[in-house]
Amino acid sequence: MFLFLCAVVLFPLAHAFWTSLLRVRGLSSRFVGAENYQHVLTDDAFWHSLGVSLTFTVACVVLHIGIGLAMALLIDELRFARTALRIAFLTPWMVAPAVGATIWLWLLEPQFGVVNYLLQAAGIVSGPIAWLGTPTLAFASVAAVDVWRGVPFVMLLMLAGLATIPREQYEAAAIDGAGGWQRFRYVTLPNLRYLLIVASTLDIINTIRHYDIIGVMTAGGPAGATEVLPVLLYNTAFRGNRFGEAAAIGVLLLLIVLAFSIFHIRLTRPDRGAR
Amino acid sequence: MRSLNPLAAAVIACLAFSASAQQPIVLQWQTANLTESQYEPVWKATIAEFEKENPGVRIEPVLVARKDHWTKFVAAAQAKKAPCIVTVDLTTAAYNGYLMPLDKYWNAEPAEFRRAWSDAMLSASKWKGQLYGLPIWGGTYAEIYNRDLVTKAGLDPAKPPKSWNDYMVWAKKLSGSDHWATAVLGGKTDTTTRLLLMWIWSNGGEAFNADMTEATFAKNPKSLEAIKFYLGLVKDGVAAPAPTTTNYLEQTNLFAQQKIATMRNAYWALAKVSGDNPAMKGRMFVAPGPANVPNAPTLTSVAASSISASCPYPEQAWKFIKFDAGKKWTVERAKVANWMPTRNDMADDPAIKSDPLLAQFVQIGNNARSYPLPSPIWAEIAANDIVDAVQKALLAPEKTEEIFTDLDARLTKKLKDV
Repeated sequence: MFLFLCAVVLFPLAHAFWTSLLRVRGLSSRFVGAENYQHVLTDDAFWHSLGVSLTFTVACVVLHIGIGLAMALLIDELRFARTALRIAFLTPWMVAPAVGATIWLWLLEPQFGVVNYLLQAAGIVSGPIAWLGTPTLAFASVAAVDVWRGVPFVMLLMLAGLATIPREQYEAAAIDGAGGWQRFRYVTLPNLRYLLIVASTLDIINTIRHYDIIGVMTAGGPAGATEVLPVLLYNTAFRGNRFGEAAAIGVLLLLIVLAFSIFHIRLTRPDRGAR
Repeated sequence: MRSLNPLAAAVIACLAFSASAQQPIVLQWQTANLTESQYEPVWKATIAEFEKENPGVRIEPVLVARKDHWTKFVAAAQAKKAPCIVTVDLTTAAYNGYLMPLDKYWNAEPAEFRRAWSDAMLSASKWKGQLYGLPIWGGTYAEIYNRDLVTKAGLDPAKPPKSWNDYMVWAKKLSGSDHWATAVLGGKTDTTTRLLLMWIWSNGGEAFNADMTEATFAKNPKSLEAIKFYLGLVKDGVAAPAPTTTNYLEQTNLFAQQKIATMRNAYWALAKVSGDNPAMKGRMFVAPGPANVPNAPTLTSVAASSISASCPYPEQAWKFIKFDAGKKWTVERAKVANWMPTRNDMADDPAIKSDPLLAQFVQIGNNARSYPLPSPIWAEIAANDIVDAVQKALLAPEKTEEIFTDLDARLTKKLKDV
């Protein structure tokens, strides 16, 4: 078990950390100590990307949780077609992210995309909209696609959580004269509180290290508006051929994810659950 | 029975040896263009014929989308498992140690073979005096027009614009509420940079100093003027919207769908447009890009085949490169895929001369600078830094000078850091 852990986790991590201490140019490298970290941390591009990453993560996680919970509540209330709807809503999550992103890329194409065609046909807009052409719209578009893909996972978790709430609590609340909102506020939410925190933490970890949707749709553009940290890392490594710096970005990103992971582990440890 | 075991083992070993001896050498071949439908029949025929002539060698094409081509190559080269035969950004790849010098093979070739490439053409395939690739095909950029749209706008196809002023007159007449004269490229690939360079050269400007140690996009007033004019086409309403997401693919789509009437592109774009919209075949004409100075050069993109440093069969790889560079395939590439020859003994070939558009591209290419530019960090700055600056300037035209001044500083620092 330890050997397996070494092979798939510890060795790659150690190698990445070692690479972050090297100046790598193609197949040659030399030790530079913390120079890559110094360069990354004094580079505006890193702080810009960190800002984009945090904004993207907060926006997406809030929407994932909000919409996911709303959809779960809706499906939970249904008497018919619950399974069919569950499967239908899960479809975006089942599609490979790069495939989904490519589909959206074509749907949002300004001149020939279906979205603009429908909006123009309905008279909502007069001319084509460059969904990925301006910073604000590009950010909103990639966030929307991420929400499209991320909501089903949260919905699934919430549905599982809703199933565990004893019906008696709702019945008791109804007897006490509680309306729909009050039942949600005083029965559903307290019961889902723990699950909501776990789902949010997991979702933050997932979203902050997210590459594929943005990589495919905008590659970080326009003008860096969607360049989240994983995209900066990729661009630094493969477009810039600066593997040492890219490894340093990777290590810093890992520390951020690690902080959330430790929070998650502390939150879900068995002794806490027993309390 | 016991005595049979060594015998059986010997027989099995012999059979295994014989089987492995019959295994052909497999050479992987990766270029960004193998996925292009116009080239597919040519490369398939090339491989088939080569394998027929060389039964001991098998060519395995590596199909990679254009935008992932460099990344995949770098990842494989880092693992020392890069395809043997590759067409990549040569200077960058050579600087990083990903390619093998070819001088040993080149110098062993007869003089007649070596004379087929001019020194100028070969210089684009050299790094620090060593040859790292054999130029296989090229693409000279020119202004391509839609004859029908030009005529419909009351313009004369026989007198295409020569100066920027002429071009603006044409551009305004070719633009309408849902169609435009042209497209400004600002998408995140180096094609954006190619077009920007041509506009800079067309005004007598320079983007870099002679030894590529300093960027002069804003420092050179002629360059800055050209940048403002070219990117300003969007603001002037004569270029298609959404330039920051427009690249080769989108540009040719717009042209094929007759949304734009003119585009700066290479000979291969004619095949792409005709493939997308067969009705466009024969309806295009070509002219040198408009320029404000006499003899402004255009750009010729040179694609050279190289051998990766980790290739275990360099002799066989060189054999394939030579085969692919032969006259027969040069003509096939030109006729079928619209890729221009890089051999100087092909200009008078009847098959080349019989195509008037190709002949015109060849003529325009007589005054061209080879591309990529000779810097080991060209792949990065051409697809990243310069494109980012173009995107920023397209989004905030009033800050163009400031943006390109920053770019100059950033690039100069990088160029000096090499």
